[in-house]
Amino acid sequence: MYSDEQLVVDYLKGDEKSLEILIHRYLKPIYNFVYRYVGDKEQADDITQIVFVKAWKNLKKFHFRSNGSAFKIWIFQIAKNTALDFLRKKKTIPFSEFENTQGENIIMETLRDPLPLAPEILEKADIAKSLNGAMEKLSLTYRMVLFLHYNDHFTFREIAEILGEPLNTIKSQHRRALLMLKKLLTDAPNKCPS
Amino acid sequence: MRKDYEKLFTHLEQIDVPNSLFDCIIKAIKQEQELQHTKKLLFAFLFLLAFSLLATPLSGIMVVSQIKNSGILYFLFAAFRDFGAFLAFGQDFILAILEALPLGEIIFFSFSLGICFFTAHLFLHKKRLLLQCLFHNVKLHNLKFI
Repeated sequence: MYSDEQLVVDYLKGDEKSLEILIHRYLKPIYNFVYRYVGDKEQADDITQIVFVKAWKNLKKFHFRSNGSAFKIWIFQIAKNTALDFLRKKKTIPFSEFENTQGENIIMETLRDPLPLAPEILEKADIAKSLNGAMEKLSLTYRMVLFLHYNDHFTFREIAEILGEPLNTIKSQHRRALLMLKKLLTDAPNKCPS
Repeated sequence: MRKDYEKLFTHLEQIDVPNSLFDCIIKAIKQEQELQHTKKLLFAFLFLLAFSLLATPLSGIMVVSQIKNSGILYFLFAAFRDFGAFLAFGQDFILAILEALPLGEIIFFSFSLGICFFTAHLFLHKKRLLLQCLFHNVKLHNLKFI
């Protein structure tokens, strides 16, 4: 299987098929990522389309970095910026959502990683429903950190690059997001009976 | 712990991509490609048009004034008035005419005339495309100021 970088080089040399392979490879992850931002399928369609057109326009400017995931980070950055631009234009979320977490509870910053999830939570029949409900209740930033880390398997450093935040901020956001998610999932059985 | 969460996140609802989205993206990229090509064409056309509008009359004036000052007209007039003398001293006459020719100006004039014809040819062949793109850009430019 060709690497992303090889496909980009091949496309720039004139191989149209390479671009199609790249789009196929990232269509689902980008679409789902954008959907987590906007929460609407039609809007996710439009934004995903814009993301790939933007990526295509800037393909020549794309500089390869030393690690293998450079293209992945780059296209997710484009997706994040496009989704945020869209939301800003729509003004559906406050601008403060995008700011750094300065001024937040300092005790939360120093908390250790939460304990593993209780097995009974994992075994719940309506886990998907509970999880989706809990994720929706999280703030956008927390949601995206968890989604990128556990769904798309990005490292914290890569998430920091994509979201444009310092590494330590991402780590503490991750800790807080897990705590909140765990709390929401633990409380969920009362609200979502199986 | 991480594995627990990874396992948990496999339950996260994955949104299926609409079947038509891939084709829409390819189509949008193709349209963008065409738009970029048309913009390049429009830019080239405007540049050539400006160049030919400036250079052709200027080089024309230069050629005419150089020819007036060079004495070519005198040589030609003399040749027609006394054709016998022209034939007798034909080689000298021709050399004198060639020597007096403003070659640089003539080459520049020919070049700008060539550009002028090429611009006209480009406009006639891509008239629709160029006008569409030009008016589209003008509209966008005006919208920015509204």
